[in-house]
Amino acid sequence: MTGPRQLDGSRRLEDFLAFSAEATAFTVFELRGTGQSQAYLNTCDGIVGTEVTDCLLDRYDAARSAVVASESTLPELLRRDILSDPQLGPVARNIAKMWFVGVWYELPRAWTEAFGAREGNATFVVSTQSYTEGLLWPAIGANPPGAKAPGFGSWAHPPRIPVFP
Amino acid sequence: MIFPRDATRRTDHKAASETFYDVVVVGSGISGAIIAEQLSQAGKRVLVLEAAADEDRSLKGYEGFLSRFYAAASKDNQSPYPHNPNAPMPRSTDARRIWPGQPDSSAYLVQNGPFSSDTTYTRVLGGTTMHWEAKTPRMLPQDFHLRTMFGLGQDWPLTYDDLSPYYVQAERELGVSADVEHQSYLGATFDPGYVFPMHELPLSYLDKVVAKGVDGTFVELDGEQFELSVRAFPQARNGVPNAAYDNGKGYVPVGAVNTHQVEEGERCQGNNNCVPLCPVQAKYHAGKTLAKALQDGRVDLLTRTVASKVLVDPATGRVDGIEVKVYQDPESPQHTTMIMRGQIFVLAANAIENPRLMLASGLSGSSGLMGRNLMDHAYLLSWALLPEMAGTFRGTNCTGGIVDLRAGSFRRQQAAFAVDIHNDGWGWATGAPYSDLVDLVDQQNLFGAELRRALPDRISRQLLLALMIDVLPNESNRVTVDPAYTDQLGNMRPVISYTVPEYTMRGVAYARQFARQVFQRLGAADHTAYDPTDGAYLTYEGEGYVIRGGNHLAGTHMMGTNSRNSVVDAQQRSWDHPNLYLVGGGSMPTIGTSNVTLTMAALCYRSAERIIAQLQDELSARLQTPAPTELPMPTVVAAS
Repeated sequence: MTGPRQLDGSRRLEDFLAFSAEATAFTVFELRGTGQSQAYLNTCDGIVGTEVTDCLLDRYDAARSAVVASESTLPELLRRDILSDPQLGPVARNIAKMWFVGVWYELPRAWTEAFGAREGNATFVVSTQSYTEGLLWPAIGANPPGAKAPGFGSWAHPPRIPVFP
Repeated sequence: MIFPRDATRRTDHKAASETFYDVVVVGSGISGAIIAEQLSQAGKRVLVLEAAADEDRSLKGYEGFLSRFYAAASKDNQSPYPHNPNAPMPRSTDARRIWPGQPDSSAYLVQNGPFSSDTTYTRVLGGTTMHWEAKTPRMLPQDFHLRTMFGLGQDWPLTYDDLSPYYVQAERELGVSADVEHQSYLGATFDPGYVFPMHELPLSYLDKVVAKGVDGTFVELDGEQFELSVRAFPQARNGVPNAAYDNGKGYVPVGAVNTHQVEEGERCQGNNNCVPLCPVQAKYHAGKTLAKALQDGRVDLLTRTVASKVLVDPATGRVDGIEVKVYQDPESPQHTTMIMRGQIFVLAANAIENPRLMLASGLSGSSGLMGRNLMDHAYLLSWALLPEMAGTFRGTNCTGGIVDLRAGSFRRQQAAFAVDIHNDGWGWATGAPYSDLVDLVDQQNLFGAELRRALPDRISRQLLLALMIDVLPNESNRVTVDPAYTDQLGNMRPVISYTVPEYTMRGVAYARQFARQVFQRLGAADHTAYDPTDGAYLTYEGEGYVIRGGNHLAGTHMMGTNSRNSVVDAQQRSWDHPNLYLVGGGSMPTIGTSNVTLTMAALCYRSAERIIAQLQDELSARLQTPAPTELPMPTVVAAS
């Protein structure tokens, strides 16, 4: 689709992170901190292909530009242009889920019927690190079970769940 | 305590097959490990046979389990452990709906039904204690006399008081954290001055939220009033040592057995992953006892060695040897068949594998009870959303529960039960928190900030009560074998026939009402839903329930007072084969509402004493009457 993005790997990653921040409500800084950015972009590319990923990132770019002059909010534009798109919606939702638990979920059957089966499209954990770096756990004030232990007796105290505005 | 390097290579199969051991033990789980360790301490030569492909309990190997768990899309209780077609094991994800007359043989356990159990056990070095949760309540005094008191099940040939000193030994070995003041209920007593090795683990914040609503509530059953409270469970998990233990000598916890304890493993860190694997070995596993057993060189351990037949001398009934199949590559059926010999044999392979091996050897026993009376606690799950943030998904898998209905005269009518408050949310019932994330994203169409806000709202308020309900022995609940069903090595697989008894279902129905009442007290929204298409869905008096397996397998070589009502005696010695002990949960005539491992461990300490005495008796008898030349003498090694 768009040549420049394919040529410039770092800009692709930036756009992927910007979209991911929108999807998860974690900051780009926090997303980078997981060390999983490139792995998740590669996973997405590897399953649905770079063209579909680029299309999603282009739509996101366009929505960001359009929101300035639009009466709609960015979330509204994203719902209209990405989340309700038969091809891009399931991919966008998969990117969100991947950040939260490190799992690529098998795309729905309707997707593969419409856009073709993809090799490797099964439910799998991206890597051992992607499990321990899942953002669900900090979002609920807990540790990924089996890693990043909070310490003896910590469980007896009230939870410290980050307040999210 | 460090697992000795190369302990699994100390001997080879050929040398072992040419050695006449004092005792040959099948299985390296907690029962086998305790017996091997006790016999080694008494100066005996022991061979332990393990079917799994594990080598030493190395740090690398342990971390390999952890990595496998991290990378597994399904995080069930077998997810850290490698698939091994030569020593296969059941997985909870195997369970399928069973149609009448069509056994499900698609996985290792062949299930005849009618009930499809998702019960599991783990075939690795250290056995199921690798994945267990490590809850260690003692049985209650009443549990030993259900036949006399209520005309139900079988009486034990032992009392609580008989077993009490062995419970003390087991609590030391497993490193139990508990406070006597909270464990002295419903008739359970402790010696004056007794304290557990470590103080009880703190209750979770979630437990305290539940306690606010539950403590001081009364329920009436069979005319008896029971006051409810949330209390800590005893756990085989390292906490804070009790300085008063052992008359003031204190207690030193055992941490990781393959690395320095300062580096890893001393005290529970709240990983919330007891099942399927504690990443720091704060949880007891049988590798800790094996490490001790292997210190002095009298215990040999062979892995990749699958016991395939118990060989019996038809003239004397004594066991001559254990036939084993030795493999190198878990994926390949290639193996060598050998025979291991000794004076006494111990089957410690668990309540399904022990009778499976005996029946596959053609040894159904004079009582006809081998493999019968299979028991496993029936778990009813009930789940709700609390009105407040309770910080679910923190702490050990379970710190507290309600145990006030574990005994009482109501047991003449319906099964007793204990209630676990699960710190890991609805995970067991619904696959939370993954299923919540998928629902919020894919069905509720939440994205970005809305999703972030919804996650704790949906997950951190979760309360799951797991109601563990007593199951009585029933001869038609059983393990058999059938030559039509074999594994890759040609060993016959276990065939399970199982029904949840009506007595238990009455307990299930009451337990569901009980859970509803707790939720009402707490103002929690009941989200419990039992799926009628689930293979474990049952109806009772018009209501549907899903019953989960507890992996507390028992009863299949029950102990009793004579060779007609039981398979083994009160020492777990076979009535039919005087030099054979079948040990573990299979020996338990009833299971009450106690997770079985601590009781199994106590029974094994008791059996170890008997085995040592039997070895001395047989040795004395030999010395008095000249031994027949073809029988090798047992090795005598001075105790250290």
